[in-house]
Amino acid sequence: MAPVRPLKRRPRPARRWAGTLVAIVLLALMLSPVYGMVSASVQPAGRSQPGSWLLSDADPGGYVTALHDQGGALVTSLVVSLGTAALSLALSAPAAYALTLSPVPGAGPFLFAVLFLQAVPGISVANALHGFYADTGLLDSYLGLILADSTAGVPFAILVLRTAMGAVPRELVEAARLDGAGHRRVFLSLMLPLSMNALVTAGVFAFLFAWGDTLFALTLTTGDAVRPVTVSLFDYLGAHSTRWNATMATAVLASLPAAVLVVVAQRHITTGPACGATH
Amino acid sequence: MNAPAGPFGRPLAALATVVALVLVVAGCGTGDPSGSARTERVTSLTVLDYYTDTTEHAHWGELLTSCGKKAGVTIEHRSVPGPSLVPTVVRQATAGTLPDLLMLDNPDLQEIARSGVLTPLRTYGIRTDGFVSGIVSAGTYQGEVYGLAPTVNTLALYYNKDMLAEAGVTVPRTWNELREAARATTRPGRHGLAVDADASFESTFQFLPFLWSNGGDEQRLDTPQAAAALRLWTDLVRDGSMSRSVLTWNQANVHEQFLGGKAAMMVNGPWRMTELEKAKGLRWGVAPLPVPRAGTSLVTPLGGEVWTVPRNDSQARRIKAAQVLDCLNDPTSMQTLATWHHTVPSRKDVAARYAKQVPSMAAFVESVRGARARTRELGPAWPKTATAIQTAVQAAVSGRQTPEEALRHAQRTATGS
Amino acid sequence: MRSARLRAPDTEGRLRVQPAAAVRARRRDTVVRAAFLTPAAVYLLLFLGRPLVDNIEASLRESTATTLLRGRAPFTGPDNHVRLLASDEFWRAAAITGLYTAGSLVAQFTAGLALALFFHRRFPLGRLVRSLMLLPWLMPLVATGTAWRWMLDADDGVVNEALRALHLVTSDVPWLTGTQEALWSVVLVNTWVGIPFNTALLYTGLQAIPPQTDEAAQLDGAGPVRRFRFITWPQLRPTAAVVLVLGVIYTLRAPDVVLALTGGGPAGATQTLAVLAFEQAYTQYEFGRAAATGNVLVLVSLVLALIHLSALRRARRL
Repeated sequence: MAPVRPLKRRPRPARRWAGTLVAIVLLALMLSPVYGMVSASVQPAGRSQPGSWLLSDADPGGYVTALHDQGGALVTSLVVSLGTAALSLALSAPAAYALTLSPVPGAGPFLFAVLFLQAVPGISVANALHGFYADTGLLDSYLGLILADSTAGVPFAILVLRTAMGAVPRELVEAARLDGAGHRRVFLSLMLPLSMNALVTAGVFAFLFAWGDTLFALTLTTGDAVRPVTVSLFDYLGAHSTRWNATMATAVLASLPAAVLVVVAQRHITTGPACGATH
Repeated sequence: MNAPAGPFGRPLAALATVVALVLVVAGCGTGDPSGSARTERVTSLTVLDYYTDTTEHAHWGELLTSCGKKAGVTIEHRSVPGPSLVPTVVRQATAGTLPDLLMLDNPDLQEIARSGVLTPLRTYGIRTDGFVSGIVSAGTYQGEVYGLAPTVNTLALYYNKDMLAEAGVTVPRTWNELREAARATTRPGRHGLAVDADASFESTFQFLPFLWSNGGDEQRLDTPQAAAALRLWTDLVRDGSMSRSVLTWNQANVHEQFLGGKAAMMVNGPWRMTELEKAKGLRWGVAPLPVPRAGTSLVTPLGGEVWTVPRNDSQARRIKAAQVLDCLNDPTSMQTLATWHHTVPSRKDVAARYAKQVPSMAAFVESVRGARARTRELGPAWPKTATAIQTAVQAAVSGRQTPEEALRHAQRTATGS
Repeated sequence: MRSARLRAPDTEGRLRVQPAAAVRARRRDTVVRAAFLTPAAVYLLLFLGRPLVDNIEASLRESTATTLLRGRAPFTGPDNHVRLLASDEFWRAAAITGLYTAGSLVAQFTAGLALALFFHRRFPLGRLVRSLMLLPWLMPLVATGTAWRWMLDADDGVVNEALRALHLVTSDVPWLTGTQEALWSVVLVNTWVGIPFNTALLYTGLQAIPPQTDEAAQLDGAGPVRRFRFITWPQLRPTAAVVLVLGVIYTLRAPDVVLALTGGGPAGATQTLAVLAFEQAYTQYEFGRAAATGNVLVLVSLVLALIHLSALRRARRL
């Protein structure tokens, strides 16, 4: 199942670098608010305004404070988000596979439910889960947060994976079935590798949903035991303090591990189209 | 509250049964009556508040621990962010897990007390003699005191001494002087005055001293007095001495404007002082907010958090909690808290002593004496009116409506369903 | 896969000869498939189904802080819904939600598709730049919201500074404080937040399209527009449909962007239904009313999901 590169004629090098140039301009535009945060994060402590957009008198004080105060929260966020990505994929990949096989009893209603259940307001979910968690001891636990954060990841992953798995040519599946491969085998050694791109996408976004969550982190934790970085930031922005440099430094730091992870994950979306593998 | 997961398609009916089973099993672990034994020994108490700020949380933790030690109990101290405190209390009440000692923002007290989950402090022999009247009325529902605050706060006018001197104006005492001073201190890149007019209750809080001092009333918003108060704000914006960005500034942002030298004056609370004292090269002062005319008395809204003892099955726990509450409200604790957070002790004698020790707090101590609780007139109906006021402020300051129109609309929404 | 092929005739033979075994095999098949579906189904029921039921139940009762604390929220039937639908603020919020959602969706999707097509062509550093484009998603919204508020500040925000420097405006644009402008500002920021999502999904969709057809069309001399319209777009449509439906649902239900930027102001100019529900619950403590507002959002999504599914079914039949 070697990746098959598109047979496109390679454009001349000059034109290819022009693409890079355009991309960098677009990126600069997209990331200008991020730049604003970076410049605010290296300002001397005590200054309350974003001030100049030029990084003139850079001061790493914000980062020192941020790392000291928020290091633990960053690790917590990482654990919760990775757990969410893993759980979301583990639950949704088999479901997506089952949904691509034609006569599954109840597949239609199920897919329908998956779609519209995403509209259930987060506040309602948080409220319902709070009671449930208080009874089962899931409050203030990693597992509790992972389960709650997956409410965004699971439906999303099911939809994305179902679309991807639906695109795998039926003949391929049928051939494997005729060859005597069971569902488990078709799923593990045919479907999963062929939908690697979608798996990475779904996983990355499940990770990101959890990474950016504030609502569940606020409602389903009660103290310092499990405290993701979004909650720490929320507290930093609390009414009684003006520590913009540290706040913004935290935001920048908070995005770094996630950025590295996403860049690494994106490397996997390089395999050519799945159908390239057919005869 | 375990509603059966029912109305799903036939294919999922079997799963629903599984889920129902899980829920039943999960539900088995709960519902133990906390403290059925009458002679139980109480060794620890749970405490809930919204002091999530690291420093504040630590301060309160320290005080609670020392008060707990006196009462012979350890303290489990938890803080949730401000906006989710009441929803958390509601969830806990339905799950039967209310804390032993609960802090509430004073405008929320009456609504919670009305529902009967709090116990009257009188039953524990706690008295309110010598407390500022505003805070006692905020803690009272239908003649019973349910909550007491060790310290309170209100709003005052901060001014930048250098900017006022440079413009040749004195600290304004009346609205006319305020408009004049604001105009005189406005420069390119700087506004004379900064207030909070954002889409939240903070802007209602900031507008109240203007409304009340002018004889306006929250029960009738469409009066000339109320309109004149709102017109002061719109005039300040029209003059160019107040930025239209006040529509997006919360009280922390207002503080940043002042700290950054972008506002010569600001309306804010005493909790800003800790940061201001750290600011180098900034010479600032605090005065009571200006009143409409010389001689009119200033009425500001009372801020501050009250401590309460929620109802539960264990009298022993409640008594211990009340002991801790009493300790939080004793003169020593008040003094400590006031010094930590720049708030005003709620016992009048302690406050007077404190004003002498910390002169910069004098304006606040003075203003607190006449300060009014937001819920004094409307009680639990306050949030609805607070929203109406906030919307009126925004509508007028943004220029969408005249002050009169905005307040007429506010009166309709406040009294409508 | 090769080993499976070796065993193939054996299996096939058995299937043909023994119909009873075939029936049994098919039944086992069904069981296996159900097993694939069950964990996700149980999870969804517990973590989304139950909250939905709770939400509906809360909306049929007079659930306020007081009644809930008293432990008996009286059943009031459709009362919350009736009063909600009779209020001006609901219809105003509904109209604002419509504009906000439509504006964000059109902008996000167009930009996302353009970027996805752009990155689909290979060029040096393309992958790295594409990954970095996700950064807006990685930054916590509490922080990016603040950054945007700085940038869009009427007095000394960089956006107005730039416009002034370019002599494009004579007076400062009240991005967040004008009752007209504020809505477009929240649309702008929500678009910014949503572009990475759209780009990433559409890019994945593009990658899954076999290049052969496109190359054939290219050899036949079809231009890029025609190729997109007749080759790429039809194959991208299932992905595009998912992206759009999810985009609508996420925009409808999330109050975060608006709360971070304007809090629904000035004077309710950016108060979407999600923000209204948030305010009803968190500042008015009218949980029943908030739940009713939530129900409206769920209902809208229900209709969208139906449209989406019927469109998919029609596409499959074609």
